[in-house]
Amino acid sequence: MEMQQFYYDNKIVKKFLYATIVFGVVGMLVGLILAFMFLFPNMTDGISWLSFGRLRPLHTNAVIFAFVGNAIFAGVYYSLQRLLKARMFSDLLSNINFWGWQLIIVGAAITLPLGYTTSKEYAELEWPFDIAIALVWVVFGVNMIGTILKRRQRHLYVAIWFYIATFVTVAVLHIFNSLELPVSLTGMKSYSVYAGVQDALVQWWYGHNAVAFFLTTPFLGLMYYFVPKAANRPVYSYRLSIVHFWSLIFIYIWAGPHHLLYTALPEWAQHLGVAFSVMLIAPSWGGMINGLLTLRGAWDKVRTDPVLKFMVVAITGYGMATFEGPMLSLKNVNAIAHFTDWIIAHVHVGALAWNGFLAFGMIYWLIPRLFKTKLHSVGLANLHFWVGTLGIILYALPMYVAGFTQASMWKQFNPDGSIVYGNFLETVTEIMPMYWMRAIGGTLYITGMLILVYNVIVTIVKSDSKVTDELAEAPALKRVSKRRVAGEGWHTWLERKPVLLTIYATIAILIGGIVQIIPTIVVESNIPTISSVQPYTPLELEGRDIYIREGCVGCHSQMVRPFRSEVERYGEYSKAGEYVYDHPFLWGSKRTGPDLHRVGGKYNDNWHFNHMYDPQTTSSGSIMPAYKWLIVGEGAKLDKSMTEKKMETMVSLGVPYTEEDIANAQASMLEQGTQIEKNLYSDPDFAKSYEADKAAGGEDFVEMRNREIVALIAYLQRLGTDIKVKEIINETAQN
Amino acid sequence: MSVIYIVLTVSVIVGVAFFIVFLLAVKSGQYDDSYTPSVRMLFEDEIVKPKKSTKTD
Amino acid sequence: MENKSCFHCGDDCGNHPITFQEKSFCCNGCKTVFEIFNKNDLTCYYDLQKSPGAIPKEIEGKYDFLSQGNIIEKLTEFRSDDLEIATLYIPHIHCSSCIWILENLNKLNPHISDSQVNFGKKTVRVSYNPKATDLKSVVTLLSGIGYEPYISLDDFKAGKQHINRTLIYKLGVAGFAFGNIMFLSFPEYFEINEYWLEQYKHMFRWLMFALSIPVVFYAAQDYFISAYKGLKAKLLNIDVPIALGISVLFIRSTIEISFDIGSGFFDSLSGLVFFLLAGKFFQQKTYDFLSFERDYKSYFPIAITKIEKDGSENAIQVYDIKKGDRLLIRNEELIPVDGILINGRGKIDYSFVTGESQPVTKQSGDKLFAGGKQTSGIIELEAIKSVEQSYLTQLWSNDVFSKNKEDGFTNITNNISKHFTIAIITIAVIATTYWLFTDASKAMNVFTAVLIIACPCAIALSAPFTFGNLLRIFGKLKFYVKNASVIEQLAHINTVIFDKTGTITSNQQSNAEYEGISLSDSESLVLKNSLRGSNHPLSRTLYNILDEHNIITLDCFEEHIGKGIEAKHDDINLKVGSASFVGNVEQTSTLNTTVHVSSNNVYKGKFTFYNSYRKGVSKLFNQLKKHFDLVILSGDNEGERENLKKLLPAKTKLIFDQKPDDKLEFIRYHQSEGAKVLMIGDGLNDAGALAQSNVGIAISEDVNVFSPACDAILDASKFKQLYRYIMASKSAINIIKWSFVLSFVYNVIGLYFAVTGQLAPVVAAILMPLSSISIVIFTTVCTNIIGRKLK
Repeated sequence: MEMQQFYYDNKIVKKFLYATIVFGVVGMLVGLILAFMFLFPNMTDGISWLSFGRLRPLHTNAVIFAFVGNAIFAGVYYSLQRLLKARMFSDLLSNINFWGWQLIIVGAAITLPLGYTTSKEYAELEWPFDIAIALVWVVFGVNMIGTILKRRQRHLYVAIWFYIATFVTVAVLHIFNSLELPVSLTGMKSYSVYAGVQDALVQWWYGHNAVAFFLTTPFLGLMYYFVPKAANRPVYSYRLSIVHFWSLIFIYIWAGPHHLLYTALPEWAQHLGVAFSVMLIAPSWGGMINGLLTLRGAWDKVRTDPVLKFMVVAITGYGMATFEGPMLSLKNVNAIAHFTDWIIAHVHVGALAWNGFLAFGMIYWLIPRLFKTKLHSVGLANLHFWVGTLGIILYALPMYVAGFTQASMWKQFNPDGSIVYGNFLETVTEIMPMYWMRAIGGTLYITGMLILVYNVIVTIVKSDSKVTDELAEAPALKRVSKRRVAGEGWHTWLERKPVLLTIYATIAILIGGIVQIIPTIVVESNIPTISSVQPYTPLELEGRDIYIREGCVGCHSQMVRPFRSEVERYGEYSKAGEYVYDHPFLWGSKRTGPDLHRVGGKYNDNWHFNHMYDPQTTSSGSIMPAYKWLIVGEGAKLDKSMTEKKMETMVSLGVPYTEEDIANAQASMLEQGTQIEKNLYSDPDFAKSYEADKAAGGEDFVEMRNREIVALIAYLQRLGTDIKVKEIINETAQN
Repeated sequence: MSVIYIVLTVSVIVGVAFFIVFLLAVKSGQYDDSYTPSVRMLFEDEIVKPKKSTKTD
Repeated sequence: MENKSCFHCGDDCGNHPITFQEKSFCCNGCKTVFEIFNKNDLTCYYDLQKSPGAIPKEIEGKYDFLSQGNIIEKLTEFRSDDLEIATLYIPHIHCSSCIWILENLNKLNPHISDSQVNFGKKTVRVSYNPKATDLKSVVTLLSGIGYEPYISLDDFKAGKQHINRTLIYKLGVAGFAFGNIMFLSFPEYFEINEYWLEQYKHMFRWLMFALSIPVVFYAAQDYFISAYKGLKAKLLNIDVPIALGISVLFIRSTIEISFDIGSGFFDSLSGLVFFLLAGKFFQQKTYDFLSFERDYKSYFPIAITKIEKDGSENAIQVYDIKKGDRLLIRNEELIPVDGILINGRGKIDYSFVTGESQPVTKQSGDKLFAGGKQTSGIIELEAIKSVEQSYLTQLWSNDVFSKNKEDGFTNITNNISKHFTIAIITIAVIATTYWLFTDASKAMNVFTAVLIIACPCAIALSAPFTFGNLLRIFGKLKFYVKNASVIEQLAHINTVIFDKTGTITSNQQSNAEYEGISLSDSESLVLKNSLRGSNHPLSRTLYNILDEHNIITLDCFEEHIGKGIEAKHDDINLKVGSASFVGNVEQTSTLNTTVHVSSNNVYKGKFTFYNSYRKGVSKLFNQLKKHFDLVILSGDNEGERENLKKLLPAKTKLIFDQKPDDKLEFIRYHQSEGAKVLMIGDGLNDAGALAQSNVGIAISEDVNVFSPACDAILDASKFKQLYRYIMASKSAINIIKWSFVLSFVYNVIGLYFAVTGQLAPVVAAILMPLSSISIVIFTTVCTNIIGRKLK
């Protein structure tokens, strides 16, 4: 057991760093476009795949999984090797991890704009990708665990614990939230196995912990590695960091349901969500304080070194976000903040400051090291820092104001008990200036990013040396047999156990989970079903899928909360029982436009038709983009080929469609479509222009009754109409 | 609301799993020394120069 | 000329630094270390920390005994034919450079496969291949680079260190269960008797039950045990009501959920246990690098060189030394047994034993006592006693070392709990009887409720958190206290006893006064230079005291062993040394050490050495005299009596010529008179006294070098703070009393709910953590305020 020499794999780190930068630019760019769409709703007029609803998921996914994800991998692959004094377990796995991940991202960048989405936030990718993600993630895990196996350093530095936690929990969360039934193995379309409330709960259990374990824990790990490294001083209190990790792990996993306060989610689930979110502040701040105090006494360095500057702001951002989070989960705060831009501000403080800036700091620190050179220009890095910081401020503050303003406007009443701003649009136009500032802030931030790109490129070009794997040496970890030495037992298990345990844990969780699934899916959900609530008609079902495809859920909630202001504005508040057939749920998380749960029957079909064709005509000043492609052009033809399959899938998920329902699907669609078409004729203008088209168009002319718009209208008119208020009274009386 | 069973079970299992890991980590003496590792990680170990006889610079 | 500081160790290089590669070194040792590192590309040792090194000691032959199988066996924790692992204690470990160099040992010796530092414990765990190298060469290497391991008789029984982590496990279990039970019981707090809850509450409750089982039967077991012990010893310690509370909580909750009466109190239960354990955990602050348990074993070598009849030398373990053995003591080695000096010039430093820094010169035939350290050259001696029977070591046969101070001392918490418990039981009984007549159905409910709510969590917490926090504050102020109960005892003392030498005097520098005919410049020039030549301790001291002079080369210089120095320069012929040597006829006998000077055979005068007392001694004594009886117990002669009289308040008792046992007896006597004694000493000769006293504080110039067994170690630099530390401990007691009051208030509130039979789980769940947490905050804040005052 003499010294062993080995090489640290730097090339893989470099690859991930490049990916981080590239996708960082992309993700932010898309975000910027979206920001401007608030100001110029029709800037991508008529281009379906550039519409807001379809780009929003692209933005979130690109930033979270492409930018942050690659940053995580880069950081982990760099630090893990050095902390364990071992090369990654397998270069092949490393590369599978890299290329697999990038492939998924590219796939997402193509499919999401094309409208292939599950509509579940941060999990929009359709089932083939979900499988791919699971696989690549496992590859990552195996690679990491393998490295831990053959490590040459006994002690597992706290960062590694954070990495392990990340791997296990993200795997579990992803698998459980992505349980969905494909309509056909050839198509992309799938339906979530959970319905309505259940789906909501699982989604936000995932949604929250995705934030927790994808955006937080791994970055905490990175913080505990790169901040001390960059400051060249040990972490303020290593003991605290250990406590930090374990308390975080034990609490975080519970904090999901606070995303659904005042929704139809069972109250106790909400309460416990709140409780634990509030508790979270302790461990989170423990981490933040530890991070900041590490730089205590090195402030002189911080003043000069951009890397440390970025990290300080990142940690501060983490502190703010983790303080705000629990606050937001207090019911009364949440009552105001939920569905508003406040939440947007909240998440962007996290993303821009904590994730973004820590990633930048890491990049500025790593690039020169990998290329054995100096950063091209510290001045530019500093510029980036200031521009970026200003960008964050200009982004966050207006959004807070916007959120607060709009929320309070929603809730204002006249003395006579009517709401002051009956027209939702008034509350929107009020905050347009904020949207402007947000766009500017975003522009600044991305400018900073571009400065980074330039700086990095020049650095690389100027450095003559290429990235080479670094040579290192360390003695192998010698095992001393337990029997021989008292008090030496730990060598033996240290060789394997943490690893095995991680694997066992995962397997156990999976099995445990699966076992639980069967009853859930088989046993019909024990939600108090409301007799009058019926499955959607085939046409409505298709309409609903269009609603999902176009990402309407990104701007419109379907969840009237039990507040006087909302009941006044939208109608009777939503009941859990109304969603029993919603696979997936479409409650939404943001109200850029009004809630739609009670929109059914509110307007006539023509209104919807015109609104979709050109929103500004029906409601002037609206910032909703037009959806012409649902009405005119090739794409407008409703694809009814899959309808029966979809219904069958629904049946297997417990939706009570009868045999004949499915048999008559086409007929009923035609019938309902024709009815709507007839209704549309009540508008003379429509009749005139439509007849004209009909005359013009040849035999391949698609009749209105067969167009997507009709299906969508059918769905919208159905929304929330199943129950009449009286029924609710006596229905709810039973619960 | 049967989905609660999943969420609960999974959460509990994850919790317990980590808890076991925690116990084992303590048992292993991972946390006996709660200072040195934080310093150790600062040392750069890549540079391995070939052993030279006394260099005079 | 301003002096450079050594590139390696940072010491002053003096006027003639050794320069190597443009770097200056104070001595060849340091330079050598640098060369070694330089040769092996280990120079970033100096980048991590500025001049982190230590001067390597001259250790020729010192570690020969390490080549002996049976000794290696003792010192290694693992031994196979291709791997040996030894954990070595290295006092010098103090910075990141140390960690770095020690973990790169194998660059210096390729057969050392792995070396891991534990900074807190100041140990390095070395694995090496015995085929290619051995323990001796490892140790020699370490010493060679200035990291001399400290190997003492203590290591005789190796592999002893076994860390006890049960508390952490228990804390973990309780914490985990607490968190999860909270989570599970939250829904019911809000009493939403809602559809869902009805569906799932049973599952939840049984989950809680499951989680609480390990809490009760594992995490909380200590409280049951201790309560049981207490009851057997017929005293109601604090754990009795706690155990009572826990069991009632558990039983009642179990009953409630099994008969679907209610949700039970599992959350309060686990929370209670968690907080209690947290308190326990917080209370224990260990200074890994210190040991409060040291006896002579930690000073004595593990082996010694014996000279056989045939003149051959070999190392034997000190326990094997027999009367009449001939022993070889090298420079810097410690004398393990009383013996007669056979040959060689003994210059014995007894500072370990007495704190007296001036080495005493011994001629052959003189008696040498164990514990002395030879400081010049090699000597031979003949053992006249075995290790255990030696003058110093037999002190440890005294039974004070076996008995534990804490027994026979009921701490404040238990004092309270006696009355508390009785009160609670009575209340419970009364309330129950009352309900029996009004509404019998509620009686049982009330009875249990009282016991639950009255569970004295807050009381049990206040002492641990107060003392625990103070312990840490003291630690930061370089006053290292063994455990919480020491602080409590410190608050009760009424007599303070000081050792003299090394305690109130600093054994760094002493000062000398010159009386006689003043010396001419040229004379003092010669004097200075002649002293420079000699390394007699007195000469060194005097040399340091006298003011700087240029270096001149003396025409002739001669040192007369045991007499003095004779030096000639130009026309001055200077004699320095004993009165007789310089030819001083009329001998004015004095108890203090003196050095006489004559120039050209004309008697000039003498330098008289006095102890120099620590700064602020008299100030400290004047503060103390207000509250305490003060005594000086010195092992020395009366030479300093007059000085002390001047220095110290009149009421101070001064007692001289005290043997270790005398000191011990003196304290024991006063204690029998009802005195609560605080003993402050330094040397091993105080060990008995320190052990006998209620609180024994050892003063140490450098806490890494050793201090005798004691209850607390005080860094010498903080000596003058002592009074304020004692006062701080007193106010800590007050804090605790106040927090008792606070927690009683909570109990009263809780009892109201309890006796009126309306204790809802949620009330308990709020009240208990609330009281506990507020107590913790209260005590922490208060102690911190005290702490701020101390700074």
